[in-house]
Amino acid sequence: MSRGWPLWRRQITVLAWQEIGRSLFSKRSLAVYLLAAMPIALALLRALFLPDSQRSHPGHTTTEFAQVFHFFLLRFIVFFSAALIFVKLFRGEILERSLHYHLLAPVRREVLAVGKYIGGLLASVAILGSTVVLTIVLFYLPHGSGGLAHLISASGLGELFAYLVTTVLACAAYGALFLLAGLFFKNPMVPAVLFLGWEVLTPFLPGFLKVLSVVHYLGSLEPVPISQGPFALMAQPVPGWLAVVALLAISGGLLALGAWKARGLEITYSTE
Amino acid sequence: MSQTTISVANVSKFYGEVLGVNRVTAEIQPGLTGLVGPNGSGKSTLMHLLCGLLRPTRGHLSVLGVPTNQPETLFRLVGYCTQYDSFPNGSTGYNFLLHTLALHGFSRVDADRRTWEVLERVGLTEAAKRRIAGYSKGMRQRIKLAQAICHDPRVLVLDEPLNGLDPMGRAEMIDLFKEYARDGRHVIVSSHILHEVDLISDGVIMIHGGSVVAEGSIRDVRGEITAQPLQILVRCDRPHVVAARAFELDHVVEARIVDEATGVLLRTTDASSFFPALAKIILATGVEVETVIPADENVHAVYDYLIGDGGGGP
Repeated sequence: MSRGWPLWRRQITVLAWQEIGRSLFSKRSLAVYLLAAMPIALALLRALFLPDSQRSHPGHTTTEFAQVFHFFLLRFIVFFSAALIFVKLFRGEILERSLHYHLLAPVRREVLAVGKYIGGLLASVAILGSTVVLTIVLFYLPHGSGGLAHLISASGLGELFAYLVTTVLACAAYGALFLLAGLFFKNPMVPAVLFLGWEVLTPFLPGFLKVLSVVHYLGSLEPVPISQGPFALMAQPVPGWLAVVALLAISGGLLALGAWKARGLEITYSTE
Repeated sequence: MSQTTISVANVSKFYGEVLGVNRVTAEIQPGLTGLVGPNGSGKSTLMHLLCGLLRPTRGHLSVLGVPTNQPETLFRLVGYCTQYDSFPNGSTGYNFLLHTLALHGFSRVDADRRTWEVLERVGLTEAAKRRIAGYSKGMRQRIKLAQAICHDPRVLVLDEPLNGLDPMGRAEMIDLFKEYARDGRHVIVSSHILHEVDLISDGVIMIHGGSVVAEGSIRDVRGEITAQPLQILVRCDRPHVVAARAFELDHVVEARIVDEATGVLLRTTDASSFFPALAKIILATGVEVETVIPADENVHAVYDYLIGDGGGGP
């Protein structure tokens, strides 16, 4: 039997695969699939009912998708999907009274937290990444060959890549946040809603407070700038590389905090 | 820290202001140890503490020299069958064990081989690929035991392990526990069925109101209870003769003919003087003695004396 890093790597793999299976194929994942299907359904309805006059102008679609991505996909779908997936990594098992099986294995609690997080991250990226790709394809589909040509052009693929990177980093940051919430709170949806409020308010906050939100950095990675409305306070945009570093640092920091909390985790199901 | 014992040193656990266990000190030797006490006495809390599922508010615990806050080392040594009748959603018996062994670091091939071996050991081979949610209570108990023993631990901690098992299952599991104990391993069993604890345990820890009220072999614990006269059952051909002669002794406080005059139950306040005196009576009267056995040197009696109400067992 292996020890040290090789063992930890193996344990992380085992834990991640288990979480991927649970997040993708259990009954509980139905809510995530319903959420993920909403933008696809929206794009499908748009494709069906788009007036003929707009079908020949794919340029407008780029802005339209950018707004749907930011205000609906990122702020609502990715946020709540991440909440549903990551909160249950610990809290779900506490409520099912099955977490002790993991704590009875020779696994460092930090390894447990990382393994579960990676599993949740891969599952959320698989679901939400597919949603982003399908939604963008359905947005350009009504424009016929012109739309498809844009989609497979360098700029179209660049946009798609940027949206996927934004989605992955959103899953990473929100995921770490909700894993932590699941460890700290008996009802993590209350802090989740409060944090959503903070994220929604971000455009209207002064610059020094914007840096405390996740969506501020995610917005900097979106390929198409969008208007935040007339009351938004303008701030110096964050360079892309800095946004990536900041989001990775936020994710890592929150995960480290989660691992620390997991170290002191006790099994007291009756009080949960 | 001893490498061969389980050490509990002045351990207290509070859930907020609620007492779990209070200043528990015990040194558990290899063999089968029964943990007995009424519901809510702190048995499960103590077991959780031993297995690192709870952290002590005060004090220190170590298992074979390993502090209980080091899961990576501790759970190579310890297998714990909890009282919780819950399992990961959607798991089959096979997957449940395979996953556990994979976390222990076994390769896929070794984990698969061990899984089948353990499933066979607990009699669940046929049900291996079925979902645990569809198992009977007894089968769920068996799969929990399988999870506790699958990595061949040196210390087995079992919280009410015989619950839900049929008589055959109980006998099989008791054999398994005894086999582990014979190998020089630690087996700690909590049960509210005292006669079962009596049947299998080399020693007991009695816990009441969060505190240990007695610890050691049944005989030693019984010997410490001087306030209660020792009961001795003498089976012989003329019990009334033994009763009459024994009653003349100062330290014999009761002599009662029992079991349709096939024996006499004697109660003495001085066990060390009693047995030589009994030998003299037998020699002097020529009574044919079948057996002389302590009648209350068992967990049930000791429990009654120390805690009261019989513990709810049959």
